[in-house]
Amino acid sequence: MSEPLLVLDNVTKNYGAIEALKGISFSIGRGEVVALLGDNGAGKSTLVKIIAGGLEPTSGRMLFEGKEFLARSPAEAKAAGIETVYQDLSLCTNVDVVANFFMGREITKKVLGVPVLDERAMEAVVSKALANAGTRIPSLRTNVEHLSGGQRQAIELNRFVHWGGKLVLLDEPFAALGVEQTRRGLDMIRQVANQGIGVVIITHIMQQAFQVADRIVVIRQGVVAGDVARNKTSPDAVINMITGETLAGAGPAG
Amino acid sequence: MNPSTRHVLEFILDNLVWFMLVFVLVVFSLFIPNYFQLGIFANIIEASSVLGVMSIGLALVIIAGHMDLSVESVAALSAMAVGILFCSSGIGLGIQLHPEWLMVPVSLLLALAVGGLIGAFNGFLVVKVKMSAFIITLASYIWVRGLVLVISGGRSAQDLAPAIRWFGIQRLIGLPLTAWIAIACFVVFSLIMAKTPFGRHLVMIGGNETATFRAGIRVNRNLIIAFVLAGAIAGLAGWLLAIRTSGATANLGVGLLFNAFAAVVIGGVSLKGGVGTLPGVYAGVLLLSAINTAINLMGLPANFTQVIHGLLVLAAVLLDAFKQTIRQRLA
Repeated sequence: MSEPLLVLDNVTKNYGAIEALKGISFSIGRGEVVALLGDNGAGKSTLVKIIAGGLEPTSGRMLFEGKEFLARSPAEAKAAGIETVYQDLSLCTNVDVVANFFMGREITKKVLGVPVLDERAMEAVVSKALANAGTRIPSLRTNVEHLSGGQRQAIELNRFVHWGGKLVLLDEPFAALGVEQTRRGLDMIRQVANQGIGVVIITHIMQQAFQVADRIVVIRQGVVAGDVARNKTSPDAVINMITGETLAGAGPAG
Repeated sequence: MNPSTRHVLEFILDNLVWFMLVFVLVVFSLFIPNYFQLGIFANIIEASSVLGVMSIGLALVIIAGHMDLSVESVAALSAMAVGILFCSSGIGLGIQLHPEWLMVPVSLLLALAVGGLIGAFNGFLVVKVKMSAFIITLASYIWVRGLVLVISGGRSAQDLAPAIRWFGIQRLIGLPLTAWIAIACFVVFSLIMAKTPFGRHLVMIGGNETATFRAGIRVNRNLIIAFVLAGAIAGLAGWLLAIRTSGATANLGVGLLFNAFAAVVIGGVSLKGGVGTLPGVYAGVLLLSAINTAINLMGLPANFTQVIHGLLVLAAVLLDAFKQTIRQRLA
């Protein structure tokens, strides 16, 4: 078996006296889709923020591509190749689609030694990326505030597909999407994983997890309550792990 | 709606304040005797240079989602620093440098440095200590003005060195160099805001700070730079003010802050951050100046200006809300 992409080793996070994460250990392989499940408040989003550089863990360590890894800011995580799509959308609604797509990574050309935004080049990239994904937005120069929730989410999803990197974290990415767009989103995830990119997806919808994931990791009260291959478990067994009726690491139920 | 009408409408909405300026100038020219003269128009531009420069800095910080109430006092402190060193009467020390032109870069750098330092202080407290920019810069507004009083002892400096004064006297195409400096500032900062990653990032930070942080933009660094720029630009405004009044008094520039706010809001900058452009702000400054000139020419008591400015700000805010509804229909 090849070396895993990201290894979490006993990662904890305390907020004062409250232990949000009590010691999380699991790993993600290249090209693997891991569904992260758990009840509200189980610590899923906290975990994603720690990997993505938004929070620092209290203790524990992470290995990314076999090397000790700790992102102190989202910029560091991004530089290492970790892309994140957050639950509450990370778009600036006061600027247009192109500006959002390239947020923080603008294409520039030098004019008299000063970096100047190359709007035409950026627009071309965005229109190609959106067309490939089958997303239709009337004008790329429209400010995002005038777009629908579905269109906004589509921009975020297309953004991570385009930038790719090595590991993608998705925190409930389909909350605002319709049936057809969700199906397309799940296809995108497979497509991204097939390029050898590791994917972690947080979801509440069991069906989505079973549709797309290779492995299912359940977090309950800040610890890993289950870590099983998708084809060796069933939705009922996973629900039991989430609610705490089965022991950790349980295999196929019933 | 077909795309071309839509483009025309969007163009009008984006540049509404310029249309208002033209409208006001036309109306005044028609109804106020002696208004339609090149000299009057030159005067409008000239009179707005100090306010214009100050508004640029204020607009930068507001677009980035923050606030800088200290610009007026910072300008006064910079003006006083220049006045004390390079004025020959009053409390001026009358320092002479040889060759004389050397006093220009030295006084300018001094003014920029004074402003930049206070801007850095504001920015550091706002960003690192995470305190509200409103409170921090309100405090600076007060203590910096206090510092002006302390170093001047409440007295004034007069007779600025001629080498520096030259910028206020020498004219190019009918406008003094100080006005050209203000125009150049608007051009340069408009380009920075519209065309460079730094400007784009400031606008996005004003729109959604969390999103820009997550996207890996160095939010804190950009914000501190914005505050330093606002301070330094206020310092430049102070330098221009010292030239214009050929010295500095302890209450120099009092009330400019509110005019700068009015210009920024009329120019289409949203106090919520993330919205607005510098050309709009310049139009706002010119609009205020055009109205002041009209009031002067009509011989109305100057006290009317304040009432009119207040109503204008109100109109600008209402207009902004109206623009939002139209835009939503367009999309």
